[in-house]
Amino acid sequence: MKVLVIGNGMVGSRFVDELVRRDPDVRVTVLGKETHEPYNRVLLSSVVAGKTAPDSLAMATADSDRVDVLAGVAATHIDRAARTVTDSRGQRHSYDRLVFATGSQARIPSIQGIATDRGLIPGVSVLKDLDDAEGIVAAIPKARRAVVLGAGVLGLEVATGLASRGLAVTLVHHSDRLMERQLGDAASRIATGSLTRLGVTVITQTSVAHARDRRGVLSAVTLTDGTELLTDMLVMCAGTIPEAALARGAGLPCERGILVGADLASPADSSVFAIGDCAQPPEGGTGLVAQGWDQASRLVDQWTADAVADRAAQPSEQVGADLTNVVRVKAMGLDVVTMGLSGKFDHGERDLRAVRMSDPAIGRFVEVVVSHGLLVGATVVGDKQCASELSAMYTRMLPVPSDPAHLIIRPLASAARPAATSVADMGDDHTVCQCNSVPKGRIVAAVEGGCGSVEDVSRATRAGTGCGDCRSLVGDIIRSCAAAQEANDAKVPALAGSMEG
Amino acid sequence: MSATHGTASPEAPELSGDAVATHCPYCALQCAQTLTRTPGARLPLEVAGRDFPTNRGGLCQKGWTSAEVLRASDRLTTPLIRTADGGFREAQWDEALTLVSSRVESLQAENGRDTVAVFGGGGLTNEKAYALGKFARIVLRTPFIDYNGRFCMSSAAAASNRAFGMDRGLGFPLEDLGGADAVLILGSNMGVTMPPFVQHLAGARERGGLVVVDPRETVTARLTHGDRGIHLAPVPGTDMVVLLALTHVVLAEGLADQAYLRERTTGLDAVRRSVAQWWPERAEAVCGIPADELRRTARLLAAASPSRGGRGAYVLTGRGMEQMSQGTACVSAAINLALTLGLVGRHGSGFGPVTGQGNGQGGREHGQKSDQLPGYRMITDPAAREHVAQVWGVNPDVIPGPGVPAVKLLDSLGREGGPRALFVHGSNVVVSAPNADAVVESLKRLDLLVVSDLVPSETAMLADVILPVTQWAEEEGTMTNLEGRIIRRRKAVDAPGQARSELWILGELARRLGVLGGFPDDPRAVFDEMARASAGGVADYAGIDYDRLDAGEQIHWPCPDARHPGTPRVFLDSFATPDGRARMVAVDHHAPADDVRADAPIHLVTGRVLQHYQSGAQTRRVDELNDAQPAPFVEMHPLLADRLGLSEGQDAILTTARGVAVAAVRVTESIRPDTVFMPFHWAGAGSANRLTNDVTDPISGMPEFKVTAVAIAPALSLDPTIPEEVSAP
Repeated sequence: MKVLVIGNGMVGSRFVDELVRRDPDVRVTVLGKETHEPYNRVLLSSVVAGKTAPDSLAMATADSDRVDVLAGVAATHIDRAARTVTDSRGQRHSYDRLVFATGSQARIPSIQGIATDRGLIPGVSVLKDLDDAEGIVAAIPKARRAVVLGAGVLGLEVATGLASRGLAVTLVHHSDRLMERQLGDAASRIATGSLTRLGVTVITQTSVAHARDRRGVLSAVTLTDGTELLTDMLVMCAGTIPEAALARGAGLPCERGILVGADLASPADSSVFAIGDCAQPPEGGTGLVAQGWDQASRLVDQWTADAVADRAAQPSEQVGADLTNVVRVKAMGLDVVTMGLSGKFDHGERDLRAVRMSDPAIGRFVEVVVSHGLLVGATVVGDKQCASELSAMYTRMLPVPSDPAHLIIRPLASAARPAATSVADMGDDHTVCQCNSVPKGRIVAAVEGGCGSVEDVSRATRAGTGCGDCRSLVGDIIRSCAAAQEANDAKVPALAGSMEG
Repeated sequence: MSATHGTASPEAPELSGDAVATHCPYCALQCAQTLTRTPGARLPLEVAGRDFPTNRGGLCQKGWTSAEVLRASDRLTTPLIRTADGGFREAQWDEALTLVSSRVESLQAENGRDTVAVFGGGGLTNEKAYALGKFARIVLRTPFIDYNGRFCMSSAAAASNRAFGMDRGLGFPLEDLGGADAVLILGSNMGVTMPPFVQHLAGARERGGLVVVDPRETVTARLTHGDRGIHLAPVPGTDMVVLLALTHVVLAEGLADQAYLRERTTGLDAVRRSVAQWWPERAEAVCGIPADELRRTARLLAAASPSRGGRGAYVLTGRGMEQMSQGTACVSAAINLALTLGLVGRHGSGFGPVTGQGNGQGGREHGQKSDQLPGYRMITDPAAREHVAQVWGVNPDVIPGPGVPAVKLLDSLGREGGPRALFVHGSNVVVSAPNADAVVESLKRLDLLVVSDLVPSETAMLADVILPVTQWAEEEGTMTNLEGRIIRRRKAVDAPGQARSELWILGELARRLGVLGGFPDDPRAVFDEMARASAGGVADYAGIDYDRLDAGEQIHWPCPDARHPGTPRVFLDSFATPDGRARMVAVDHHAPADDVRADAPIHLVTGRVLQHYQSGAQTRRVDELNDAQPAPFVEMHPLLADRLGLSEGQDAILTTARGVAVAAVRVTESIRPDTVFMPFHWAGAGSANRLTNDVTDPISGMPEFKVTAVAIAPALSLDPTIPEEVSAP
């Protein structure tokens, strides 16, 4: 089988790698517009924040002579009748199956003055590829102020990343709340508080109207409400647009992205597929790489018959739920995680149990949504432990406690340990030496029987002869016995004294 | 008595006339003991801890009470032969051995030599393990030999071999741990399984550098409390994700030891790319550990590593992460992290798996493994066959090719084309192997089962012939501990009744099967031959003998000649690979084979308690241990117990795709609410291995003991689904 993949990004390359591993006969040609090897785009904001070295972004690629990757070569035309794709060099490739993994492009809002014929003016950028990230990083040393447009996940990551590098950052957002697709009002308010503490100024319900430059370089932006902000940098994080032009040109049905069914095939052509950001599956595209990777695996499963039985047992197939939509902001000091039902949804729906805790004073907000004993949604701001446990529970579809409130009060891990019990509080049956199962009572008896040192007690009871960790505790017990004895001894004359008096 | 002369040293201490210096019968820490004979007392000797670099005088409750097993009330003292009515009758050695040899001969005449198989154990001395492998290859001439170490160290061994070209367990003396700033422990609970080990963690704890990765807050995990370190409690089966994310952070944040990677390793690029997809926030949703906690841990390890000016760091792995269908890959991920930090083959830093069974190290070096000959040589290597055949005095063609790993071997028993007879030595597979009900069925399909054991173990009770053997204080020999240190086991008392060493039994059987000579019953003679057979191999013992050991020398292999001091620390100059560099192998995570699902939504993990050892065949016969830990149990979080309607002490019925078990509930907050824990030391209704998965790692053959999906419900009394005890017919 000859497979042609258009796009050599995170999803396309993963798909090809899995496919050649699982199908020993397949031959694959990959047309990749970028000259870079596939790299981890999700971490671009970490590069901007200075937390990730750009050279650690390269992803694994298929290691097979059955794969031909043409880097820097774009697909330009598709002839579905002939099953051929023409590339930017004019070469034609035939295929049995065609897979679009063309990803998406950054949406550039219409803002006056941000661009000339040569493109965006210096100081203005998006963050979609490695060149964008490196451009921003290069500009940081000379910049004092930055404006970030858009408070989605990427906008929050860029804003906090730049703030952590010492820039005065203003985050401008069109909606009345941050991450409006994922967060409700209360959660957004609490997240805003965290941002403020990190030194980010948040301005909502407005946008950037135009940009001003000084000698061709960005110097200020004016918001739609007329406010003018001096700035050295404008990073536009205003969402993405699926890259569907080529598919559209080939007569494939497209809306926002390339329409595909649950089988990831185009309804108009069963030999054409789309995965990742460019695709628009029935449940909708989330723009998350987890969804794209899941689609890549599913498509490979679908094409390799032996896997079908395995897959049937997978939880995600059992209920048809999308377990990949965990949205996680990667930012130091700002912990926002959502999954499934979150933000504004119909809380009145019958089968849902939603429990919410809002704790603005310490910047914490947790809401969990449970249905039929499973977690179907959660919003967590400012509680890392809770967020990580809920995400694992959600993605693995683990049953929730009888009362969902327990998910909020203390999720999976046990509560903080109580302080070590003092010797006085220990019962006689409290095991002091785990290695030799020696209870406190037996140690007390040994001391009362004349053992005056830890060594004596060890000889008599074996306590402290394993890992040795309880030796100090044995010492405490000996001292407390001695103190009790002294008090006892002291009592007699004291009593006698009082009688005398 | 060999230990009473010479200069005082850990291995040859000055002891009074009635005292014998030896080591504990149980785990791979092989704590040093002094045995003092007590004629006329209830027990023939008294046990005390002895100062030694590993245990520093410490013993756990198992070690202190080990003398009890010498006089277990049902100790086997005479050969037993199954009778027509399903019971056993006592027999003389000659009758029992002749019966065995004649049955073997007739079965082999009928079905070929492959019809007999051998199952060994990681508790056997080096001498016994060696003799057993030799017996299988040149007396039985069957390829089918494997052992319970397959359930123990096979994943760690496979990963070490492919990375370093050699598997020497820790590869450094345990005491070295004390100087490190950080020790990362994955899937090992040595605070319970080998308590005296914990003393070596004191340095790292003092400096806040103990990191324990375990889904349970174990005794070992609690050693991190009070700012002594970090406990990470991942979702069961996701240790690999933790490791990939840690390596990701080390590389992404520029914390790797670039000079070391350049000079001493190959394969970094592929590993870098493979971990690029495991950024901490993605790992978090899979393993349930907060991304920042993963970062903090990676930074702690990096700060401790020598290239960042630290005093050193160690990465230690245990069964918790190795007993997975991705076990080998998981250990490779641990090795990759250690290599990225520049730890391996460096004084004061390192990587190592913590071996479990008493002679788990030596047991895997001298020919019990299905594909190996003595000296850790591959049975498929013509030069290795040539060398060993010469030592054995046979034509190399006589030595069979590779057999199959343990789980496959057990499954094939009595099936079309599979072995029809089995010898079991030092193993209680009915309790310790995964999918135990299927193992019982396998053993029942056999025409001949011969079990050599101390006590009537559950496996022995299924045998046609039971042969009583010596143990621990009743025999001489050597063991190789978790550090690759060769130590002496010494005799203090005679075995009761007719119990005999396996060395004698193998020699007698060999003779009856027509092989005269080559199976001496003197352990010293066996050791000397084994040393010759190992010469030039990976695990080279050629320069070691009893005299050197008895004179007090501390010898770690490889030790190629009599003047060689041994090798306490391996890989200091180069790795045992063709180019001398460590090989980094890119690996990726996959979910457990039997993952949680709607009708089995809870993870079952299995493990150990302090008072019992392995299948419990020995420790369940010690009253003091039974009093402390009398019965199987299932540990669960109060939230889970609440959801399931279970409370402390109540019986729960646990069901997996393979079997059913019943155990009393212990409620504890020290476990994840999505996970239950069962110790596996018991047979019968509460036997954890009736539940475990026998799917295996594709490289090592290691079964996936450590995680499976389970459904749990309160057990109703008289519930007809509660399984019967496994018992002799």
